[in-house]
Amino acid sequence: MNEHIEGVELSSLIDGALDAAARARAAAHLSACAPCRAELESLRAFKRLAADAPRRALPADLALRLERRHVAAPPWALLTRPRVWAPAGALAAAALAAALWLRSTQAPAELPLEPLVAAHEAAAGQTLTPEPVLVASADADSAALLADDGAGGSAE
Amino acid sequence: MDAQTFAGLIARAGDKAYNFAFRLSGNEQDARDLVQEAFSRALEHAESYDSTRPFDSWLLRILHNVFLDAMRRHAHSRTVSLDAPSPAEDASWADLLPETAESAHDGMARRESLDLLQRALERLPAPFKAAVALCDVEGLSYEEISAVMGVPVGTVRSRIHQGRVLLRRAYEALETNRGTMS
Repeated sequence: MNEHIEGVELSSLIDGALDAAARARAAAHLSACAPCRAELESLRAFKRLAADAPRRALPADLALRLERRHVAAPPWALLTRPRVWAPAGALAAAALAAALWLRSTQAPAELPLEPLVAAHEAAAGQTLTPEPVLVASADADSAALLADDGAGGSAE
Repeated sequence: MDAQTFAGLIARAGDKAYNFAFRLSGNEQDARDLVQEAFSRALEHAESYDSTRPFDSWLLRILHNVFLDAMRRHAHSRTVSLDAPSPAEDASWADLLPETAESAHDGMARRESLDLLQRALERLPAPFKAAVALCDVEGLSYEEISAVMGVPVGTVRSRIHQGRVLLRRAYEALETNRGTMS
């Protein structure tokens, strides 16, 4: 009997990776060699067992994470991300603080009132004149109070 | 890269990549990490992809390199995760088996066989584990495995056979241990 088939040849035979001539030689030997047939079947059994194992599918959450990580987002998607607004808010706050500081360091500007007054007069159809300042004297107040009292007293 | 193109890549190669990663690492968390890193590297080096060749084989090659890098990096500190039996929280192959009409005894025997096989596969040295997983689990040809692993076809042939012999030895040892413990 010929020498036994090398193990590598048996595995290649199982995997369909032998050329026609090598396959024919192996078949001829196997038909007459029980130990080689047993070895062939043993190796084949392990291949089948591995091949029959249930397959693991890519978890859906991982697929989603990969997509989020690697797909370029449309520009408007940036607006929906809170983290994008954080630096913008900080910038706005800094700008406001700078404006207030600058204002505090400058003299208050003289407000040109004349145009506003003219516009208001045109709209109201009258001339704005300062109302007379009424200075209530103690005597006048007292007279009024006395008059009230007098009326109250007459009622009694 | 636009969403449609990327979704197509995931649909085409995602399951295969994850299944291979799980066979290599033996647990879900490492498999997830491997796949994420593989996709990242693939997209970073998209210009080196030869579009005349299958994308999934290219991705598997990157994933295999990621795995080897991780093995080297964690050779001393984290061998438990990559080489030891799968953690208790991870479902084994047997746990994934669908309910069938087979008898309870046959189903149990099959579950035990698959569980032992997975544990045996996890004990193989990385080159043999990858070769056996790519051939017997993923169904790749020797030429495809050669491209994925970056070794000559002759090396693939010997690794597959040696891997099967080691797998059988590990399986039988586990089976014997289980028999003596029960």
